[in-house]
Amino acid sequence: MPEKIVLDGNEAAAWGARLAKVDTVAVYPITPQSGVAEALSTFIADGELQADLMDVEGEHSVLSVLQGAAFAGARTFTASCGQGLAFMFEPYFRCPNFRIPIVMGIVCRDGITPQCVWGGQQDAMTVKEVGWIHMHCENNQEITDTVVMAYKIAENHDVMLPVNVCFDGNFLSYAAEPVEIVDQDIVDRFLGEKNVNWHAALDPERPMGIDPLTGLTPEGGAMFSRYRRGQCKGMQNALRVIPEVHREWKEMTGHDFAPLIEEYRFDDAEYAIVVIGSMTGAGKDAVDVAREKGQKVGLIKIKTFRPFPVNALIQTLSKVKAVSVVDRSVNFGWNRGFLWQEIMATVPFLQKKIPVTSFIGGLAGTDITVEHMLETINVAENAAQGKVVEETIWIDQL
Amino acid sequence: MGNAYNTLAVYPEKCNGCGECEKACAKVKANSTDVVHSRIKVLKSLEDGFFGPVVCMQCGEPNCVKSCPAGALSKNPETGVVEWNEDKCVSCTICTLGCPYAGIYYNPLMSTVVKCDHCGGDPECVKVCEPKALEYRPEASVYNDQGDLEDLFAPGLAACLGCNMEILVRHVLRHVGPDTVLAAPPGCLPGVCAVGFNGFTGSKVPSFHPLLTNTASMLAGLRRYYKRKGRDVTALALAGDGGAADVGFQSLSGAAERGEEILFVCIDNEGYMNTGMQRSSTTPYGSWTSTTPVGPSLPGKANDSKYMPLVMLMHDVEYVGTAVTAYIDDFHRKVEKAYQASKRGFAYLHVFSPCTTGWRYPGDKTMEVQRQAVATNIFPLWEYEKATGKLAFTHPVDNPASLENYLSMLGKFRHLSKEQIEHLKNTAAMRVNILKAMSEQGLAGYQNLKVAV
Repeated sequence: MPEKIVLDGNEAAAWGARLAKVDTVAVYPITPQSGVAEALSTFIADGELQADLMDVEGEHSVLSVLQGAAFAGARTFTASCGQGLAFMFEPYFRCPNFRIPIVMGIVCRDGITPQCVWGGQQDAMTVKEVGWIHMHCENNQEITDTVVMAYKIAENHDVMLPVNVCFDGNFLSYAAEPVEIVDQDIVDRFLGEKNVNWHAALDPERPMGIDPLTGLTPEGGAMFSRYRRGQCKGMQNALRVIPEVHREWKEMTGHDFAPLIEEYRFDDAEYAIVVIGSMTGAGKDAVDVAREKGQKVGLIKIKTFRPFPVNALIQTLSKVKAVSVVDRSVNFGWNRGFLWQEIMATVPFLQKKIPVTSFIGGLAGTDITVEHMLETINVAENAAQGKVVEETIWIDQL
Repeated sequence: MGNAYNTLAVYPEKCNGCGECEKACAKVKANSTDVVHSRIKVLKSLEDGFFGPVVCMQCGEPNCVKSCPAGALSKNPETGVVEWNEDKCVSCTICTLGCPYAGIYYNPLMSTVVKCDHCGGDPECVKVCEPKALEYRPEASVYNDQGDLEDLFAPGLAACLGCNMEILVRHVLRHVGPDTVLAAPPGCLPGVCAVGFNGFTGSKVPSFHPLLTNTASMLAGLRRYYKRKGRDVTALALAGDGGAADVGFQSLSGAAERGEEILFVCIDNEGYMNTGMQRSSTTPYGSWTSTTPVGPSLPGKANDSKYMPLVMLMHDVEYVGTAVTAYIDDFHRKVEKAYQASKRGFAYLHVFSPCTTGWRYPGDKTMEVQRQAVATNIFPLWEYEKATGKLAFTHPVDNPASLENYLSMLGKFRHLSKEQIEHLKNTAAMRVNILKAMSEQGLAGYQNLKVAV
């Protein structure tokens, strides 16, 4: 029988890595991620996880040691957030280009300044274009399960890209929930053989140059472009592999999570709210309340944010007349949210243009409540009836 | 490959005819003050066609051995020394007639012939030769030990003529062997094809571009996982001073503190030579670089170099050494020690590596610049081993050679004022004093030091 234990989100992420039997773990503390580092360190100290614990001197090295280990063939895990992610950016930026299947949690934290150590998705959203796969979790069970699934996605021969499992600082990192821990032998069968460095290795038994200079000449430039096209292809392949992996996980464990996007109460929905991360719970509750009042509202949860599941969204958005998009981060270039921008980029693919309203809230560890969500529903309802709010709505000003 | 032998090299043009070598030889070989016992002779007459020391050349095919009717002379196949056996010698002196170099003499006081035996590998004459007309060259061991090993680098590469790094990379890779992963952070080394260009690579060992900032970290992860799998793969970094002392320092320091099993070689060319000769933290005081230019308002670099070898020693690592390729035997000895130490913990080798292009000197002076840097104590050669806890000079220089002469070889120092030269002298002296105190009193020695600058 699977074991059910109470874990906070950080412990849930560490449990995912433990179930995946990672070989190398790199840790460096930062709020609100430190719990991941502590849980992993404890697993290793207690002999429950047979892995090298690399307690290095900063996030830059955290990801760097994992890259070295991955080129030697190790399955690797770490987590970071906020300023740590910013400091890690140099190796982070390069990691997908290496095509090595590292899995890393982002315990989403808002960006300083003003000084702030609490939840917000500014960190994950700021680094979304680098080439990592980004999957955002709604609850702690999804964190554990997604970390395990992330290895199967990252190590797929058609993907070979690193994966960020993102979950909200504070709201998930410190929230304790029952989590069902899948039997180890099921996880072992699910993951199968490691596939870390079959394609690119630093191994005297098969010597090769990793990351030679490329470009300048037309031939070199073509080689570089071919490489980039391969990365793009890996990302697009992930849109096929992620649902396959989720399906297999469901078959083996009974745990069912929507792989790309989730439609909630969408059967006859006329308008919807679009959410991401831990706010999904409040969103679903609000939809339930609104439905009681007769509002025909649905919810779209974005699980996979990179690669962006545009085809799945086209199908879903085609069913409604208006959406409100709730972002836990600020897109300074558009004076709106990042998710709003993504939805807006999808709208031209629809048969009919629909209004999209941008909400920004939950910054710096503040809550997005059911009441807030009800307001986003009202705005979507009004927009569906032609009363569109053009400006960004800041939830703290509601 | 055949055996190579260490040699007693003679530079007659440097000889001043002082005769100290003869006295030293007579003293050590016959405990006498009479130089008739000396096995080295100084010819002082240009009329003889020669002015300088005359000594046995330890010929490859010695005429003396062939001509000896008593079998008293033989060439030792191990040391290459032509040995004389007193028991067999009949004092016929035929050998002295056969020698084309006048390297074997008849000693009338002893009534036998005498000849040089290299004092068993540590010749006394060399030690007393003030003008350095005699030099014992122990590099043969390098050839004997390394000659048969594979050169793990491509035969052609794109380095500047006279580049020291090429010598370094060939010797280091040859020494550590193919079971190695080479990290070559951005700089000239990957640029000349250590990692490769558009699909071609110049190294036969697996190699990669780490970031300029994370060389030690990437190697640490790699080495740890191989160790976990039970494989002994050498984690080798050949990094520049930027990748070690500047932006690469955090990961280097972290890996050293954690005792990661890495052989980290810093190829210190005193600046960012690959990107156009900008200053780094190991650029010496006063030096011109493209970001410490010399003009009416600026006199070159305003600060002393960061002395990385001591910084690394203070990390309590397994091994720290300073080396130059110009003393290749010493270089190989230190590579070996660092290599062995890197199987137990962190090993750091700091190599002074002149850059003909960036330092502004002719490429054929690469070795001379290094030797002068050692002779002036600008770059003292020493090593520290954690196993013994001892810091030792490997090429001690008690009377430093002229710093002005060294500086005059290098275009980057052309503008220096007397005061700036004095500053450099003081810095060098202070560092040597610290090292001396540590070599004499242990690592705490520097605390007891009263450094007068």
